[in-house]
Amino acid sequence: MKYVFTVFAMIFAVFLYTSSSLNKTAIAFDGKTYKDAFEQLDLFADVLARVNNDYVVDINNTELISEAINGMLLSLDPHSSYISPKEYKNLLISTSGEYSGLGMEVTLDEGFVKVISPIDDTPAKKAGIKPGDFIIEINDESIFGLSLSEAVDLMRGKPGELVNITIARNNDERIQFNLKREIIKRKIVTYSIKEGIGYIRISQFNENAYQELSKAISSLEKEMFGSVPGLILDLRGNPGGLLDQSIKISSAFLDGGKVVSTKGRKESDNRNYNADKGELLKEVPIIILIDEGSASASEIVAGAIQDRKRGLIVGMKSFGKGSVQSIIPLKGGAEGAIKLTTQRYYTPSGKSIQGKGITPNILIGYFPEDLKKKERKKEADLPNTLPIETGEHQVESEVIMPIDYPPNGFKIDSDYQLKRSVEILKSETYADKLDSST
Amino acid sequence: MYLLIKSSILKITSIILAAIFFTLWCPYLVAKAQISNNSQTLKKLELFADIFYQIRENYVDEIDDALLIQSALNSALNSLDPHSGYSSASDFIEQKKREKREYGGLGIEVSLENEVIKVNHAIKDGPAYMAGIRTGDMITSVGGNPVKGKTLAKAVEGMRGDPGDPIKLIILKPDDTKTELTVIRQVVRGRAVRHRIESGYGYVYIETFNNSELTEDLIDALNSITQGLNGDLPGLIIDLRGNRGGLLEQSIKVSSLFLNGGEVLSAKGKKLQDTQRYHAEHGELFPDTPIVILINSGSASAAEIVAGALQDRGRAVIVGRRSFGKGSVQSVIPLSEDNGALKITTQRYYTPSGKSIQSRGIMPDVLVAITPDTGEIKKRLREYNLPNSLSNKDDTNFKEVYEEIIYPNDDWNTSDDFQLHKAIQVLSLKKYHEIIEKNMNIGNLN
Repeated sequence: MKYVFTVFAMIFAVFLYTSSSLNKTAIAFDGKTYKDAFEQLDLFADVLARVNNDYVVDINNTELISEAINGMLLSLDPHSSYISPKEYKNLLISTSGEYSGLGMEVTLDEGFVKVISPIDDTPAKKAGIKPGDFIIEINDESIFGLSLSEAVDLMRGKPGELVNITIARNNDERIQFNLKREIIKRKIVTYSIKEGIGYIRISQFNENAYQELSKAISSLEKEMFGSVPGLILDLRGNPGGLLDQSIKISSAFLDGGKVVSTKGRKESDNRNYNADKGELLKEVPIIILIDEGSASASEIVAGAIQDRKRGLIVGMKSFGKGSVQSIIPLKGGAEGAIKLTTQRYYTPSGKSIQGKGITPNILIGYFPEDLKKKERKKEADLPNTLPIETGEHQVESEVIMPIDYPPNGFKIDSDYQLKRSVEILKSETYADKLDSST
Repeated sequence: MYLLIKSSILKITSIILAAIFFTLWCPYLVAKAQISNNSQTLKKLELFADIFYQIRENYVDEIDDALLIQSALNSALNSLDPHSGYSSASDFIEQKKREKREYGGLGIEVSLENEVIKVNHAIKDGPAYMAGIRTGDMITSVGGNPVKGKTLAKAVEGMRGDPGDPIKLIILKPDDTKTELTVIRQVVRGRAVRHRIESGYGYVYIETFNNSELTEDLIDALNSITQGLNGDLPGLIIDLRGNRGGLLEQSIKVSSLFLNGGEVLSAKGKKLQDTQRYHAEHGELFPDTPIVILINSGSASAAEIVAGALQDRGRAVIVGRRSFGKGSVQSVIPLSEDNGALKITTQRYYTPSGKSIQSRGIMPDVLVAITPDTGEIKKRLREYNLPNSLSNKDDTNFKEVYEEIIYPNDDWNTSDDFQLHKAIQVLSLKKYHEIIEKNMNIGNLN
C-alpha cells in the first residue's frame, strides 16, 4: 500500500513540476481549478526566497511563515484564526470544564484586546472590569500586536498568582488592576424570583448550559409551588458559545419545529436544526432580555423564540454575530487547528443575523437617554467583518421604534430593563405585543 | 460558536487527495525559496499550504486566492520591521504613479492673512513670477471665486489642476493697486530650500531630501546668501529639524558640498559583498566657514546621514535634540509577472566613524531644547519606539543626558526659536572649534 502511494505521489509530483513550468496547464481537480492557487503559492515561495537572500539580517523562516498564516486568517474576518497545538489542547478543556484565569470574555478589536464581558463571580467581575474595557498591558508589558490567544495565555496560569492588568477605558482613562487568578468554574446559569416572576440568567453557552438551565427551571417550579406565572430569560452580555447548546436551550421552550439553519458555501453544507418535541414551561409567558453584548448563540435563542412567537424579546438590539466558526484540526491537532468561519446562520423565518442583530419587540434602554452615546461596538463595526447579505434573505424592515429609557433620576443599578420586563409580563402588554409581533 | 467539522467519507477522501496535492508542492516551494534549514521550514510550509487549502475549501464565502496570499505576505513582511512590506501589482503601479505624478500649479508659496491669500514666495521663473506676481502680493480672487470667507485649502483649490490651463487671479500689490492677471498652470517643483541671512550668518532650511534638484537649489541659496553678505560667509546654519529624509543620492551630494573627498556613509547588508561606501567629491564650498546643523527627533534617514557625516568628519557642530534613528535602507524588489513588489530592509547605514544610525540616531554636540524645562525628558516618537523595529546592539545607553540639555528660561518667548538662537551663539564661540577638534579625534580613532 505504501509502495502504491509513493508511486502515485511521484507521478503527481512530476505532473506538478511540469505544469508549473508550463504554467498554462489548468489542473482540474474535484471539479475545481487549482492553477491559480499554485501560482499564488509559487509567489509566496518566491518572496520567501528574496527575503532569505536580501534581508538585512538572517531571518527565522518558521516565524515568518507563522506570521503569514496569521495574516491570511485574520484577513478573512475577526473570528477566523490559527490555534497552536497548545491552544488547541486548552480549547478542548475550556469548552468542557474549568480553567485558572481572571474570568472575562475577550475579543480582538483593531489589534487591541477588548473585554466583551466579565464572567459573573470571578476576579475580573469583582474588581470592576467592565464590558468595552481595553486591556493594554499585562504585567506591565504592552500586549499590542499579540494574538488573542497569546494575550489570553498571559492571563491564564497558576491559580493564586497575581496578574497586573492595565485597562484603557473611555479612550484615555487608564486603570491598573491587580487580580489574583482563580479557578474559574463556569457556573453559567443563575436564577431567582423577581416580584413573583421567574428570572434565569445564562452568562454563556458552554457544555453545561442546557443541563444547568433545566435544573434552574425545576428549582424555580419547586420554589413557586409548581406554577411559574412568567419567565424572564436574561441573555444580556452573553457572548455565545456552543451551537448545539443554543439549539437545546431554544428547544426547551419550543415544541418541535425550526430553531436555526446554517448555510455554508456549498449547498451540501446547509443544515436545518429543529427542536425536540415537548417543552418546558408550556404556555408560560416568556421575555428574553438582550442587549448589545448578546451575541451568536444568544442571538440564535432570541431569534428562534421571537420568530416562533414563543416569547417577547425586550432590551436593546443585539451584537449581530451571525456566523459559525468550525474548529478544523490540522494533522489531527498535532499541528494545532484553525478556527474558520464556515457558515452563516438564519433564524426560523430565514433572516440572517450577521451584522444586523436581533431587534427586540420592545426597545428598553439600560442607561438614561443622555448616556446612550456610550453604545457598545457591534459586529457590524468590527474591522473586516463579514458583510451583511443582500438578496433573498435580507428583510428590509428597519422600522424606527421608540426606545423606552429610564426616567431621569432612575438609579442605573436598579436595572430598568428588568423592572420593565416584570411589569410587561404582569400586564396586558405582553399578549398584545406577542399577537402583533411579525 | 464552534462546530467540529464532521465530514462524509467522500469528503474526507477528497480532502486527503487535495491535501496531498498541496503538500507535494512544498518541497518544490522550499527548493525554490532556497531555504537551507529545510526540514522545519518544510513542515511549516506544509502547514501553510494545508491552511491555505482549508480556507479555499471551507470558508463561508468564495475567497480570492491572490488576496489570501497578499494578506499572508503583508503580515509576514510587516513582522520583519516597520519599513518592510508587500505591495500587490495594483498598489505597486499606483505607488509608481504617485511618485511620478506631477501637478500643475502656479509656483507660489502662500498663506492666508486677513481673508486674503498672501504670496510668501514666488518661485523664480515659475508661471506666477513670469506673469508679474512677486513676493508680498495679495490674491483676493482665484478663478473668479473670491478668497474672502474661505479656508486656505479651499481658496487655493483652484490653483492646482491640469498643467496648461489658464487661471484668472485678482492681485493686490503692496501699493494697493489692483490688477487682474491670467496665469497658465505649469508643472512646478516645490522649492527644496529656504534661506535667509540670520544675525550676519547664512541660514538654510531643508524641508525634505525628496527632491531631485535639492543640491542645485542649495547651491543657489548659498550663492544668494553670500551675495547678500558681500561675498563673505562667516558662518552657516543648516536646519534639518523635522526633515524626514528622502533620496539617498541627495544626502550624499549635500554632504559632499561641505567635504573635500573622503567617506560620507557606508551601507552594509547581510553579506560582506553587500557593503557599499559613498564618498564625497574633492573640493568643497566654504572650507573655512563654521557650520552648525540643527536637528531634532523628527530628523530622520537622509537628514541623519548629512548630520552624521559632517559631525564625524569634524566639519560641523550638531545642535538640537537626538535625531529619529532610521538607519536602514529599504529596497523595492519587483516580482515577476505582475505580482507586485516587496519592500524589504536590505542594509544599515553607518556614519564615517563606523557607527550605525539605526535606532540610535545622531546625538547633538550641544543639546538644546525648544521649550522650557519640565523637569524630565519628554518621550518622543523615535525609530526604537516603533513596534518591532530593527535593533542595534550598539545602542545601549545611547540616551540624552538630562543635565546636559540647555533649556530656554520659563519666560522665553516661545515664538522665538531658542534652538536657532543657540546655534548662532555656538557659531561665534571658541567652543565651536573645541567640539570640532574633539570629533575629529574620535573620527580618526576609528
